[in-house]
Amino acid sequence: MTTNLPNEGNTVSSTIMTVDDSPSMRMLLKAALTDLGYKVLEAEDGVQALERLGGVEPDLLITDINMPRLDGFGLIEKVREQDRHRNLPILVLTTESSDEKKQRARNAGATGWIVKPFHPDKLAAAIRRVLH
Amino acid sequence: MNAFPRASDGLTRINIMQGETKVSDDPNAVLTTVLGSCISACLYDPVAKVGGLNHFLLAEPGSGDTDVSSLQRYGVYAMEVLINAMMAMGATRSNLKARIYGGASLRDGFRDIGATNALFARRFLRDERIALVGEDVGGHGARRVEFRPTLGLARCRVASDRPVERLRLPPVPVPVAAVGDVEFF
Repeated sequence: MTTNLPNEGNTVSSTIMTVDDSPSMRMLLKAALTDLGYKVLEAEDGVQALERLGGVEPDLLITDINMPRLDGFGLIEKVREQDRHRNLPILVLTTESSDEKKQRARNAGATGWIVKPFHPDKLAAAIRRVLH
Repeated sequence: MNAFPRASDGLTRINIMQGETKVSDDPNAVLTTVLGSCISACLYDPVAKVGGLNHFLLAEPGSGDTDVSSLQRYGVYAMEVLINAMMAMGATRSNLKARIYGGASLRDGFRDIGATNALFARRFLRDERIALVGEDVGGHGARRVEFRPTLGLARCRVASDRPVERLRLPPVPVPVAAVGDVEFF
């Protein structure tokens, strides 16, 4: 299936950072993204994500909302304050689906919103769209 | 002290159906559910005195997907909904303790869904480093679970020793119409 080859024609695969406080969720995401051919970096909350973003430049950030220390909204705001990550696509991946929370994410600078449980095909299509 | 006195005891019993999650910090609440091959995780934070219960089957609603990874995604989702609801009520992830119930064998000639559910729940708790302090899973009978969310105490009784398929309730639609939906800003 050619739709599962997002890096077809590229010699270097894109790198995605996933941010989620649940180790189970991080494992599921890593399995799905690795299957799609991406390199995966992980962080367990917003604070750790910001620390890691100081040293790497991923092509996409996928973040949960409900996390200890620094939640997804706070993370997105902090990332957008940094010039070097101003154009980094950020997809929110969460169990939440209220309009109020989507609006908060949009205002903070998120690129898109995906409702858990994620579907691998829909996730792949969303990633392709924001990485272009 | 009997945590589960009967009749006119002043306790509020709340029944949880398949696909539902309920969290409470009410000292008079008793969360109850009847389980066949489904699993209930009873989580509580003994410091915040908040507890909650979910009731799920490893199946992605309406999708017909039965491969292992889609079942896991749905199970992780069901657990995350419960954990997030507890954190919203003041619980702390590192304080959480768990009891799991259900996972009875259907003996339907196909794979043992109940055992798969129980294995998933145990593995999830281990991966998430949430202490499993009690369980009653497997077997062939339906169970009735009563859980005092603020005390973290549970009582589990075999509601019937009949094979659970005779007690199977009609499937309840799970309110996750937007599964995997994507919206761009």
